[in-house]
Amino acid sequence: MNETIVKLRLNQQQLELMDRTIAQGVAPDRAALVRLALREYAASRKAETAGSSR
Amino acid sequence: MTTRKITSEWILEPGTGKAIELLKGQVLRIEQVEGGQCADFNCFNLHDYKEFMHCGRTRTVHGFHPTKGTFMWSAPPRERAMLYILEDTVGRNDVLFPRCSAYVYEAAYGFSVHTNCHDIQAEAQREYGLTPDDVHDSFNLFMCTGVDADGHAYMTRQTTKAGDHVDLLALMDVLAIPNVCGADVMKTSNFALKPLKLTVFEATEADLASVPTTPVLASQRTPKDFKNPVIKSDRGLRRDPDYRPEFPNTPIVLTELPVALTAEEVTMLNAVKLTDIYGDDDAAALRDILFSWWEERFLQAHAGAPAIEA
Repeated sequence: MNETIVKLRLNQQQLELMDRTIAQGVAPDRAALVRLALREYAASRKAETAGSSR
Repeated sequence: MTTRKITSEWILEPGTGKAIELLKGQVLRIEQVEGGQCADFNCFNLHDYKEFMHCGRTRTVHGFHPTKGTFMWSAPPRERAMLYILEDTVGRNDVLFPRCSAYVYEAAYGFSVHTNCHDIQAEAQREYGLTPDDVHDSFNLFMCTGVDADGHAYMTRQTTKAGDHVDLLALMDVLAIPNVCGADVMKTSNFALKPLKLTVFEATEADLASVPTTPVLASQRTPKDFKNPVIKSDRGLRRDPDYRPEFPNTPIVLTELPVALTAEEVTMLNAVKLTDIYGDDDAAALRDILFSWWEERFLQAHAGAPAIEA
């Protein structure tokens, strides 16, 4: 599968917030959390755009 | 409903203020006598004046016009709910404007002496040993303000009538200091200075039961938690030769997190990334998306404000 690697630079506090979010069961690991965030954020923006064009 | 037990009453004459020991569970009513009068308000922890009401924290939590059902908060690092607004018959208070001062009236109007909230507060607070430097930003009751399109705060006339009042319930022992705003050449009090009535009464069980619970957190620190708990008692500033910095969570260390994106996810990233801010730095753009998403999904309070539900 054709994948693109993006290397996020995160500090210990940002990682702590991510880990606490993961501990709630939101995503299985840090990379998965980032991908979930991207998909949901993009979907939300798409929905906003569709709403404003109506 | 249980009858309220009144413990004290005063008429606050124009140009004056009054420092009142308001104990936990007591209510201070600040009431219009004729209507149309702004009241400035300061508040300190009665047992530690270094804890005082903070308009900045209060407005980030409750907005520019706190009213019935909101709190007055103390400054960081205490950040405790000091007073609860139990009743507000008008619903138009202000935490945008600072108190008016002698400088304002001299610089803008040419007065060598003029009633002003800073000096009135200082004179009232002097009864308890405080100095003019201890007066803090005022919570302005009945003051009708807003923000114009250019981002400037403005004030306008108020529509309060005789009998309109705000009831402040003490959640800790405080020194409460209301004053009749000294502004008679501004719209604040409709260009006239009028008296205000002050009443202290004991809160009823129903009053106390109406107060929402606020968080008790480790971050609400008191002098027992301070590295330097001693109040500085002279005026000059001198370096402590033994000082060694102990900033929390330092050093800040960056960790690289590789994230494999599918072609579809790259398309999503390209569609929403902020190139005007991050240029071609996709890692920074994706980090922005991560924490923007987190705010949208999990943040309970307004950005920058603490959550106040316990």
